[in-house]
Amino acid sequence: MAKLTIDDLKKIKERVEREDQFRSGTKRVKLTVHMGTCGIASGAKGILDTFMEEISENDVNDVLVTTSGCIGICSREPLATVEEQGKEPIVYEYLTPNKARQIFKQHVLKGVVQMDFVLARGKEQEDRGVRS
Amino acid sequence: MSGFDSSLFDAQLEEFTSEQLDQLDQIVSRYKGKPGALIPVLEQVQDICGYLPVALQKRIADGLNLPVANVYGVVTFYSFFTMVPRGKHVIRVCLGTACYVRGGQRILGKIIEQLKIQPGECTEDRNFSLETVRCLGACGLAPVVVIDDDTHGQVKPAKLEALLAKYN
Amino acid sequence: MKVFRAHILVCGGTGCRATGSEGILGSLTRELASRKLTDEVVVVETGCNGFCAAGPIMVIYPEGTFYQYVKAEDVPEIIEEHIIKGRPVQRLMYKEPVTDAPIPHMLDIPFFGKQMLIALKNRGLIDAEKIDEYIARDGYMALAKALHDMNPDQVIEEIQKSGLRGRGGGGFPTGMKWSFARKSAGDVKYVLCNADEGDPGAFMDRSILEADPHAVLEGMIIGGYAIGASHGYIYCRAEYPLAIKRLNLAIQQAKDYGLLGEDILGSGYSLEIEVYQGAGAFVCGEETALMASIEGKRGMPRPRPPFPASKGLWMKPSVLNNVETFANIPQIVLKGGQWYSSIGTERSKGTKVFALTGAVNNVGLVEVPMGTPIGDIIFDIGGGIIGGKQYKASQLGGPSGGCIPAEALNTPTDYEEIVKLGAIMGSGGLIVMDEDTCMVDTARFFMEFCQEESCGKCTPCREGTKRMLQILERICRGEGRDGDIELLEDLAANIKDSALCGLGQTAPNPVLSTIRYFRSEYEAHIYEKRCPAVVCADLFKSPCQHACPIEMDVPAYIALIRAGRLDDAYRVMKKTNPFPGVCGRVCPQFCANKCRRGQLDEPIAIAWLKRYIADNGKLPKVEEVPVTRKEKIAVIGAGPAGLTAAQDLAKRGYKVTVFEELPHAGGMMRYAIPEYRMPRDIVEGEVDEIRALGVEIKTNTRVGKDISFAQLRKDFDMVLVAVGAHTSWKLEIEGEDLTGVWGATEFLREVNLGKNVKIGSRVAIVGGGNSAIDAARTAVRLGAKDVTILYRRERKDMPAWENEIVAAEHEGVKIVYLVAPTRLVGKNGTLNGVACQRMLLGEFDRSGRRKPVPIEGSEYVLSIDTIIPAISQNADTSFIESGSDLELDKWGGIKRAPKSTVKTTAPGVFIAGDAATGPATVVEAIAMGHQAAAEIDSAIREKNGEPPYKEPPEEKIDIPFEVDEEAKETPRAIMPEMKVADRIISFEEVELGYSKKTAYSESCRCLRCDAEL
Repeated sequence: MAKLTIDDLKKIKERVEREDQFRSGTKRVKLTVHMGTCGIASGAKGILDTFMEEISENDVNDVLVTTSGCIGICSREPLATVEEQGKEPIVYEYLTPNKARQIFKQHVLKGVVQMDFVLARGKEQEDRGVRS
Repeated sequence: MSGFDSSLFDAQLEEFTSEQLDQLDQIVSRYKGKPGALIPVLEQVQDICGYLPVALQKRIADGLNLPVANVYGVVTFYSFFTMVPRGKHVIRVCLGTACYVRGGQRILGKIIEQLKIQPGECTEDRNFSLETVRCLGACGLAPVVVIDDDTHGQVKPAKLEALLAKYN
Repeated sequence: MKVFRAHILVCGGTGCRATGSEGILGSLTRELASRKLTDEVVVVETGCNGFCAAGPIMVIYPEGTFYQYVKAEDVPEIIEEHIIKGRPVQRLMYKEPVTDAPIPHMLDIPFFGKQMLIALKNRGLIDAEKIDEYIARDGYMALAKALHDMNPDQVIEEIQKSGLRGRGGGGFPTGMKWSFARKSAGDVKYVLCNADEGDPGAFMDRSILEADPHAVLEGMIIGGYAIGASHGYIYCRAEYPLAIKRLNLAIQQAKDYGLLGEDILGSGYSLEIEVYQGAGAFVCGEETALMASIEGKRGMPRPRPPFPASKGLWMKPSVLNNVETFANIPQIVLKGGQWYSSIGTERSKGTKVFALTGAVNNVGLVEVPMGTPIGDIIFDIGGGIIGGKQYKASQLGGPSGGCIPAEALNTPTDYEEIVKLGAIMGSGGLIVMDEDTCMVDTARFFMEFCQEESCGKCTPCREGTKRMLQILERICRGEGRDGDIELLEDLAANIKDSALCGLGQTAPNPVLSTIRYFRSEYEAHIYEKRCPAVVCADLFKSPCQHACPIEMDVPAYIALIRAGRLDDAYRVMKKTNPFPGVCGRVCPQFCANKCRRGQLDEPIAIAWLKRYIADNGKLPKVEEVPVTRKEKIAVIGAGPAGLTAAQDLAKRGYKVTVFEELPHAGGMMRYAIPEYRMPRDIVEGEVDEIRALGVEIKTNTRVGKDISFAQLRKDFDMVLVAVGAHTSWKLEIEGEDLTGVWGATEFLREVNLGKNVKIGSRVAIVGGGNSAIDAARTAVRLGAKDVTILYRRERKDMPAWENEIVAAEHEGVKIVYLVAPTRLVGKNGTLNGVACQRMLLGEFDRSGRRKPVPIEGSEYVLSIDTIIPAISQNADTSFIESGSDLELDKWGGIKRAPKSTVKTTAPGVFIAGDAATGPATVVEAIAMGHQAAAEIDSAIREKNGEPPYKEPPEEKIDIPFEVDEEAKETPRAIMPEMKVADRIISFEEVELGYSKKTAYSESCRCLRCDAEL
């Protein structure tokens, strides 16, 4: 790959934002499974597999599945975030494959938030004055 | 090298396949002449051969052009290296503070009771070896037991038997 | 078309199959066939309903009844009840979740809301394995800025301006370190990252490397540029395979983009970075040892100087920083040192990441501005202690650190402030310990760690830690000796002064710190061979027995219930407890708090089993003990302490006379605890057994009125003061002289005396202890319409027992939290209201609870006719003549002789029970009664020159050993209770007691920790 310049960095940033299938609207829902060591040890891999299974079983192509690191609250692992276009993300806690399945069927496909498994809504980094 | 009884080494080397030894030699030649090569070499060799008996140490020392005493010193210094064979499955019980506070010691006691081996030992059928570690950094899930590459969190004494049975 | 009476739909989706729906289908087919219902009921396997978490799911039509968590075993019941009898099986029915509850925002949850993310800014937001996602969140922009807009000196200046200090533990200013390395001459320099996170309980570096590896790389490249390094290493522990994988991937991606390697971003600056995998040696976290390890040698520290900044790795100038430090660098370069230094305290700038673990509800990674009080991290972010247990201490800084006790929870997270406590910031591992942690054992744990991890190079560390460990092990085994604590302190001072490296110098810290704050716990181990936290197993047989102030042999009497030998069980209890029937009803159960069963499901209901024995077992008739001693003993007060001492002394052949002011013996057991909790005959019966030994109890006789205290001392050889604490504290506010104001103890006493006590219909009680609940429930029974408890803290802080609080609520008592009365309001001398002020919880007090602080302008008046303060009590000492040699302390309590629990300053006068300790429990009073009796007896013998008393041989009762093969999770047996409607109109006992069957099954839950196998 060719070496980058600073302009290239900015272009990458723009490209990622543009091509982000979720932000660009290509995908309707973004599913993030949080997979640090803690998450993996408590079964995050099974959650990821379940989402992938559900996607293929239900033959949907507007759902983006991605992974990311620990969000910090290890004692509630496994955790996953469901973000629908135009709505606040919802973080689910203490997941099991069956809870993940239910979340997929009810929330991802029908838009019904599964209150019993919710940790919180929104993002941690939203600006509330003190945040960086 | 006159100080060593080479027949003893030969016996130790018989434990390993020629394939394993070839891989060892390849690693050694790849690192030869690189500063600070010894520890990565030992890590990779142990990965392939399972443990580092003196015979392997000598082979590595000769290959890297180092005194055997240096290799031995390093092997015995770091807890990651072992000179005794490991079982098919390695159980590592975390005894870091968080695990300790949440009952890691009791988990260890239960495993000792079940497998009838002490930390550092290997079961007779070579299925399990037992080790203790100082904090695996998965304190959020304390107490933690790692079996091979699987981290098991919030382990309860009552559920250990079922857990170990998965690795038979 | 065939018509079916019912349709049973069983979900056959993946989720329900995984939880066993196939077994249900099979079971349904069999069950329907055997009942010949196949023609009436049809079973259909459906696709997924989307309620997978509650699976297997079953729906029965025509009603549409929705069953969840169905098991194959439930099928016969469903067919029998629902299909045949038409009654839905309630326990399997789906319960509508609360759907209108608002979802809290992440930032409304204190765990997240109180954090401030700099080093962890990308957590949970990016895929760590995709460099583009990092770049999209301004990744590598700081590097670009540094390389193109700043020269190395300007970078260093910015870092210096930020005030950033090393996050690995030392807290050395990063900018200064960099400037030293920059100024060191040399063509080759190294930038090193310490990812050998070895402190047990610290995992922030792992998490950063796993979640955001590029942030660390970017920080390192900037650092390399600033000092002029051409090569870098990340020394990462082998225990972090995922971190190593992601780092290697990140390095490759950065190289592919030209962000690493030759001519970075076209700036002309070049840097290579590689990951070096550690091999498991804690000492390698020390910088010179780490460098030795990269060189391929044994990781042993070397003396400094020379410092690594001039002669480091391979004797070249090197800078070593930890993961978290590097992760802060890009943000500082981007936003400026000024911005960073605006966060934090005077000397500790920015944020710090803590790994919060241990006995705390929310375990995880916490990044907060420096200066945040430690208590806020534990109680707000961490959500407090698991299972409502007491906070004891937290360990900060790993094996080099120290503990932070409850009284220091307000300490800000600031390098210097924490050092003042005897701990260190270290890498930020914050391990919370509750009341079940033994501090001596904790010190032993850390010393064992340091001893095992000592590299062996210098003698003080190698040998000194071994000696300290031996002493600690000895103390934990119950073989501690007088002088051990001082010996530990000496050795610690020695090691601190003379060890070669940081690890050795700080190794004694955990010991010194636990001695500093928990010396009494060391002393209990050494002198009393007792482990107050009930951890050091060599010191006891079973945890419950060790936790009991009178060491009742709990497993023995529970085993005897199981064996059906109730009379023997009763005799076992009576060996140490003269009031098992009382304790079976009102004991706070220090035992159950330590019950090992609690780790599996719930502790054994020890008190309720005790009550079952006392209510149903029989004792042999008590024989009077002949008086064999000439000394006469007087006991003032016929409560649990006084009567226990009387019993013990009578058994030793003394003539004992008990003086009691009230008409009946029993003290608080008879006059403070309401009858609905403690029937009179229970107290009477147990008192009678003491009387039968030959103890004389003179009721209606007040010392100080009917007989003077001075006269008593003349008539008797020894006097035991066990007068209890029967005087309620006043609120010390305006209006307490109004009619309608009662003290809780006085109120309960009048009621228990059988007097016709008149209270209004609106009653307020002030306080959160058991007396407050007693007063409230008694007021309900006296006919008050509206009973409100005013408590100044939160429910979790209430000292009253949870089951008592719940019972009060069931009986209609309202509890208002976070309020305190400020003034009582009345008309014509009669109370008609209480002015209350709302409270906020502020800083932590010495007990580790948050102090209530009044909210200005929040005063409101509550209309009431009666108020009953139940905040505390003290002893009535008015019977002591002025000028007596029995000295009082400045609060009016009786002073005890130095270093004694039961001796007073006056010769021949002893003290026990609440009169000595303030309001406590029956079992503690009994314990003190035993102790007072033993000390009175030995004082007499000593004076006479007699040999010490020898206990008669203990009655031998054979204890069977029978346990269940496997302990299945079973909750504690429920105590049957009277219906609320019946109990609020009478003083009959609310708790009805276990049946034989319940007591048996509960006794089988005992794990028999006392057994020696």
